[in-house]
Amino acid sequence: MKKNLVLSLMVVLSLLVPVFAVSADGAETLVVGFDQNFPPYGYVGEDGEFTGYDLELAAEVAKRLELEVVYQPIDWDAKDMELDSGTIDLIWNGFTMQGREEKYTWTEPYKEAGQIVLVAVESGIKDFAGLEGKNVSVQADSAGLAALEDEANAELTASFGSLTVVPDYNQAFMDLEAGAVDAIVMDIDVAYFQIEGKEDKYMILEEFVQKEDYGVGFKLGNEELRDKVQEALDEMAEDGFIQDLSNEYFGYDSCTLTACVEAAKSK
Amino acid sequence: MTVFKITNAWKSFNDSVNVLRGISLSVESGEVVSIIGPSGSGKSTLLRCATLLERLNAGEIRYGEEIIAENDSAGKSVYREEAALRACRQQFGLVFQNFNLFPHFSVLKNIADAPINVQKRPKAEVESEASALLEKMGLSDKKDAYPFQLSGGQQQRVSIARALALKPDILFFDEPTSALDPELTGEILKVIRSLAEEKMTMVVVTHEIEFARIVSDRVIFMDGGVIIEEGTPDLISNPNNERTKTFLQKLRR
Amino acid sequence: MPLSVILAKLSQGMATSFAIFSLTLVLSLPLGLVVALIRLRPNRPIQAVTRGYISIMRGTPLMLQLLVVYFSPYYLFGIRLTPDYRFWAVIIAFVLNYAAYFAEIYRGGIESIPVGQHEAAEILGYTKSQAFTRIILPQVVKNILPSVTNEIITLIKDTSIAFAIAVTEMFTIAKAIASAEKTMVSYAIAGLFYYVFNFIVAITMERVEKRLNYYR
Repeated sequence: MKKNLVLSLMVVLSLLVPVFAVSADGAETLVVGFDQNFPPYGYVGEDGEFTGYDLELAAEVAKRLELEVVYQPIDWDAKDMELDSGTIDLIWNGFTMQGREEKYTWTEPYKEAGQIVLVAVESGIKDFAGLEGKNVSVQADSAGLAALEDEANAELTASFGSLTVVPDYNQAFMDLEAGAVDAIVMDIDVAYFQIEGKEDKYMILEEFVQKEDYGVGFKLGNEELRDKVQEALDEMAEDGFIQDLSNEYFGYDSCTLTACVEAAKSK
Repeated sequence: MTVFKITNAWKSFNDSVNVLRGISLSVESGEVVSIIGPSGSGKSTLLRCATLLERLNAGEIRYGEEIIAENDSAGKSVYREEAALRACRQQFGLVFQNFNLFPHFSVLKNIADAPINVQKRPKAEVESEASALLEKMGLSDKKDAYPFQLSGGQQQRVSIARALALKPDILFFDEPTSALDPELTGEILKVIRSLAEEKMTMVVVTHEIEFARIVSDRVIFMDGGVIIEEGTPDLISNPNNERTKTFLQKLRR
Repeated sequence: MPLSVILAKLSQGMATSFAIFSLTLVLSLPLGLVVALIRLRPNRPIQAVTRGYISIMRGTPLMLQLLVVYFSPYYLFGIRLTPDYRFWAVIIAFVLNYAAYFAEIYRGGIESIPVGQHEAAEILGYTKSQAFTRIILPQVVKNILPSVTNEIITLIKDTSIAFAIAVTEMFTIAKAIASAEKTMVSYAIAGLFYYVFNFIVAITMERVEKRLNYYR
């Protein structure tokens, strides 16, 4: 009797997996995967809801495609599995194309960005030479880390006293504030956002560690959805939606889509 | 009337040396049998086989008219199915050397739980019987105590009451005073003696030979897995067998 | 972000954390007992299966098990995953993992009961299941309580692992608010929540232990 009970329990458990897995709602959704700790692209807004430059773009795209947008914060390390298994439709999250060109199907780059060095003003560091022997921090699995590990920056990286890899930028800032590190290598927009109102304490070095392009990433081969999203983006470029949103978020027109460039020319 | 009978019993553990070597023992109703012998003589194993805690390799066991185990054609013991064995367990009781009271039950519950839940007898009836047993054991005031609050002698008296509550036809004692301080053995022996006076059928494995001499109808000397001598309690004063003599001398010293 | 919004957001996360915690506990405690009982059976092949299960569950990180439970329906069977499944994958993985730990605790507890207790129960005529539920299990429960308390407290803290498959429990929300607001307030509140939660568990378990202290 007891054996039967156990056996049936195991059967039930193994049945649960597909039951839960296939209870698809079937609704037409656009599931946007993003790292919720990545302002200003995707983060928790004043009202406690997810917001951000990329998420607002995604919402507008979904609206134009007549899809319901679903913001799905993901564990950044699991992004490929999430995309492969179809639990998210795309990654839109200040997603750097360089080095990943062959791993995803991409839209055109819609924004330029780059990796810079952020330092505390009182550290006295003014340029890359000043970083020699200093403690530098960078986020794990980030474009900043990739840039530092790139051969082009080998000399710069070698000049650091130490390179600390932290799980997220927030921790890097806590370290910088506490004096545990002297500099953070990070995305320029994220840096501007983070130091807003604290310009007296932090500054960004003029030189770029690396310049990069942001695109919307799809599962490799998912051209169908990519094309739809690209079309919607072009439309949004033509009617100025992207430019307005960029001004709102970054204080300038950061759009690099061909359609944006054309629109600017025709003005 | 024969209450218990074990015939030509053989027992070895893990196919090594035989602990029981063709031993036979029959106990009549109202009889008190003491089993005496050096350690390793097989007397505890005999008791454990008799109470079905261990299974014989060969031999037969009967309780009353009922055959519990008998030899098959190959001469190996075959036991009846578990339900029949469980029913049979109601016919005998066993008092352990280490009492083995249930620590999470009160004294009263230790005694009353099995009659209520195993024999399915009415709670009120069982509990009043249990109280009477406790009074007989001189433990009326310990009804609500827990085993850890009792002395060894008191615990053993509770365990005797627990065995009696199931109204067994025969009661086995496995060295009931061995785990007790010497000054506490007397109270247990007194209880066994009063049970003997009530004609309770009992088999007592013991080292207390003086006690065995007074209380027993029959004394059995065991060694090497067999009975080497058996007879009236006078045997203790006048053993015939050399090994019995040596053993008794050792105990007297 | 006003404090009220932070609190509202965090309490959503708390509800998720608490749901993970309580469902895991309610399901893994009995499952662990079943596993322990199978593990203690003389049947060799079945014993080997439960031993293997326990060994894998204790020998690999919970986070990995979480990913396997969540993604394997897709990678092994090509089944499309739905958002609902995220939460249930967490529950399945947590229950399987904790049941293994509880099983070992039960096993130790059962094995620590003196053989004389089993023999006394047998002699008195209790059936095997009566002996287990009336005589053995109550003593096991008392013996294992401190170890179970430890596991429960670990479980509270483990709920934050759920974010590996994007279930936003409280700690993840606290992290998100902290990075958006550049403030430690949400961490402080989260820390306080975990502490109070653990404190309540500790007090409750202490009470239970005291209640079982009527015997030794």
